[in-house]
Amino acid sequence: MDCKIEALGLNLYYGGFHALKDVSIAIRPRAITSIIGPSGCGKSTLLRCFNRMNELIHGVRVSGQVRIDGTNIYDPATDLTRLRRRVGLVFQRPNPFPLSIFDNVAYGLRVHGVTDRARLADAVESGLRATWLWDEVKDRLHAPALGLSPEQQQRLCLSRLVAVEPEVLLMDEPCSALDPVATARIEELMRKLAARYTIVIVTHNMQQAARVSSEAAFMLLGELVEFGPTARMFENPQDRRTEEYVSGRYG
Amino acid sequence: MSAHFVSLLDELRRRSLRMASAVEDMLDEACEAVLRTDHALAQRVIARDAEIDAEEVEVESEVIRLITLFQPMASDMRLLCTALKVNSDLERIADCAVNIAERARHLDTRSGVHQNSDLRHIAAIVRRVLRNAVQVYSAEDAQAARQVLGEDDAIDAFYGQFIRKLAADAAQSPEWMAAHLDILSIAKNLERVADHATNIAEDVIFLRTGQIVRHQAR
Repeated sequence: MDCKIEALGLNLYYGGFHALKDVSIAIRPRAITSIIGPSGCGKSTLLRCFNRMNELIHGVRVSGQVRIDGTNIYDPATDLTRLRRRVGLVFQRPNPFPLSIFDNVAYGLRVHGVTDRARLADAVESGLRATWLWDEVKDRLHAPALGLSPEQQQRLCLSRLVAVEPEVLLMDEPCSALDPVATARIEELMRKLAARYTIVIVTHNMQQAARVSSEAAFMLLGELVEFGPTARMFENPQDRRTEEYVSGRYG
Repeated sequence: MSAHFVSLLDELRRRSLRMASAVEDMLDEACEAVLRTDHALAQRVIARDAEIDAEEVEVESEVIRLITLFQPMASDMRLLCTALKVNSDLERIADCAVNIAERARHLDTRSGVHQNSDLRHIAAIVRRVLRNAVQVYSAEDAQAARQVLGEDDAIDAFYGQFIRKLAADAAQSPEWMAAHLDILSIAKNLERVADHATNIAEDVIFLRTGQIVRHQAR
């Protein structure tokens, strides 16, 4: 199978707490994969393993491998800045920097040393176009990003990632702070972005996972219980625990 | 949502089973009305049709309401789809029973054609198949449902022979042509009931396994 991200026997400990238990999963390129499960099941932890963001937390220990395009990103030789450019992360709450719209989108490129004004302007425009934000903000690029609506802010955060030309977009409950109309727009945008990027989304909203993803993973107590086509997961799950969770009988 | 939804699903399941049992009674009575030339019984079957029609609409509305309000997943969704499909098969079986009852009222018994032993035989098998289908639906037993599927082929084969014999009989006694045609209609309706019963058994397999087994060679 064509595979962009592959976890192999991945274990993660927060101090003495075993948060990921021997997780192996293969995620397809240019598709949307969702990770569902109850709070504390390890889904966000797994997501953050894909760009090594967990290491920012004190006392984290990881064993096993995560391969992106076949290369283990837990290899000591991995360049973390380059990894996080290839694999971007969007959070639950939109977190634009307290800068202008333009400077938010240009931020990543400047970090990577781009100073050429024309190149920055091009990248900002294409980043904003990719998330349909361009027409809404092109006349106020130098206005503060914090003045945008929450949904526009979330799209701005996606523009900021897209501007550095990543390969993978990780989304940790990207719509949980948004209303249903804004959620529908972000989902539509995800479908569009999936033509170019590999998208992995963690969501509490099972209907959202059902709507947007082509493959879904169900996690429980740090274990990957079931992984497969989303339709099968919701129509006819193979594991009793998945059945109980998706039909709302868990716990 | 869980406990509340589960109790609504249980109520729907019970309602659908009550309807199945009513339809099973209607078929039994329609067959008896033919075999015993009991016009009052035939009339009773015909009168029950409106009740089944109303119940079909109620069950369908309830299924749509539960899907809309609770957005069910997995086996809950399969149960609702199954209830919806079984609901329509039950209503059509009731229609067949009514057709049979109407023929029973109309049948000219002087012909003696209703004493046809093959008709008695086909009625007995079809009643049994429907009873078994309702039972597997009640028990949600996919394995027993597969056995019900096997019976339909036998009924189809027997029905083919029956028609050929009936044509020969009709040629022998053309003066009773109307009665022969009534018998033909009764047999045709019985054969349809078996088809609907088979659908119910197929739906039970879907309910339990998620497999759609319709249109597969058996």
